[in-house]
Amino acid sequence: MIHYLPTIHSSQDGYERLADLAKATAKLRASRLELDCSRVGFFDANMAAPLGAVLARVADRFNAVEIVNVPELVERVLRKNGFLTQFRYQPMEDANRTTIPFRRLQRSDEGLFEDYLQRHLKGKGIPSMSEGMGKVFKQKIFEVFQNAVIHSESELGIFVCGQFFPQKQKLDLTIADAGIGIRDAVRRFFGNQEIGSVPAIRWALKEGHTTKKGKQPGGLGLKFLHDFALLNKGRIHIVSRFGFYEFNAGAESLAKMAGDYPGTVVTLEVNTADTAAYRLASEVPSEDVF
Amino acid sequence: MSNEVIVRVFDIVGGPLCVSAEDGQRVHDKIAPLLREGNKVALSFEQVETLISAFLNAAVGQLYGEFPEERIRELLSVRGMDADDLAVLKRVTDNAKKYFANPKAFDEAWREEMGNDEE
Repeated sequence: MIHYLPTIHSSQDGYERLADLAKATAKLRASRLELDCSRVGFFDANMAAPLGAVLARVADRFNAVEIVNVPELVERVLRKNGFLTQFRYQPMEDANRTTIPFRRLQRSDEGLFEDYLQRHLKGKGIPSMSEGMGKVFKQKIFEVFQNAVIHSESELGIFVCGQFFPQKQKLDLTIADAGIGIRDAVRRFFGNQEIGSVPAIRWALKEGHTTKKGKQPGGLGLKFLHDFALLNKGRIHIVSRFGFYEFNAGAESLAKMAGDYPGTVVTLEVNTADTAAYRLASEVPSEDVF
Repeated sequence: MSNEVIVRVFDIVGGPLCVSAEDGQRVHDKIAPLLREGNKVALSFEQVETLISAFLNAAVGQLYGEFPEERIRELLSVRGMDADDLAVLKRVTDNAKKYFANPKAFDEAWREEMGNDEE
């Protein structure tokens, strides 16, 4: 089959279009997908992560995936970040060093993810922030990665990609999975198949809420991410199945999407102009911690 | 045995990256028997570079489901942690206390928030 990909922004509309792709290809099996990009006017580089997750699902059903007719400017971006090289395009050097490359990692690959962050965040505005901030940023990104490891059940792995915008002094990093989505984890937890994506995300965002069962408490990762974005004046997108969450300029919004994005995606946009020191709380004496 | 036992997280995990619940569980499985025997335990985070809540929930948070809070405070201490990580640990222990104080109510508090809106 041929699917025409439209412009993909890092926005609700972009995820709706990826949900369209997932829906159009849902029944394709042992066949061929030609993803025609001739109608792509623009593609936000970090969106290679959720696109990669959707295409991994297609390929997992024994389909050959080919990406064709990529407009030159888009092709340059997606070759530089390594996304198109997964689809037999030649790599292209990132002379400006603004790329945070596309990677597909397995859930057990936290060491590789650490290497990825060490290698690709250097020189991307993080050093201009305080050392404490760089450390806290990395912690929050790992919280997101671990959420995918613990909750997604994504057998196809975890997909990461980003982009640094030196002029705008921002850095986008996106972590996507091809898993069950927050909705299904919450449905299973409550034993209730009627729970929708939007209330499921709202529930999961509350401090202390976790779908982990058993002896371990949890539910702090997304709260930490939120606190970080608030201090940094950054932005968060969380997309999971029919739910789209945005945190921007201190305001939260949740919307129901028309389409079903098959998995969960978290994007953190960091304001690299921010040089404030970060503390999650006032200093805690070590004898008071328990 | 009543001497303080130093449990070096770096050595148990095998590196400076403390991010997975599995590694946290391994640390927990080292600490819990020591506490059960009544030992004082100093949990050392020296050489640890990256530490997140998923790890700490497993390593430390779940202890609050096994031991009274006073017993943990009496026997367990931490060292080699910077202020950022101490703040994360404090959030983890506060959350664990709430969770184990009434886990059922905590889990069910949001039942009324649910409502289907999709296929």
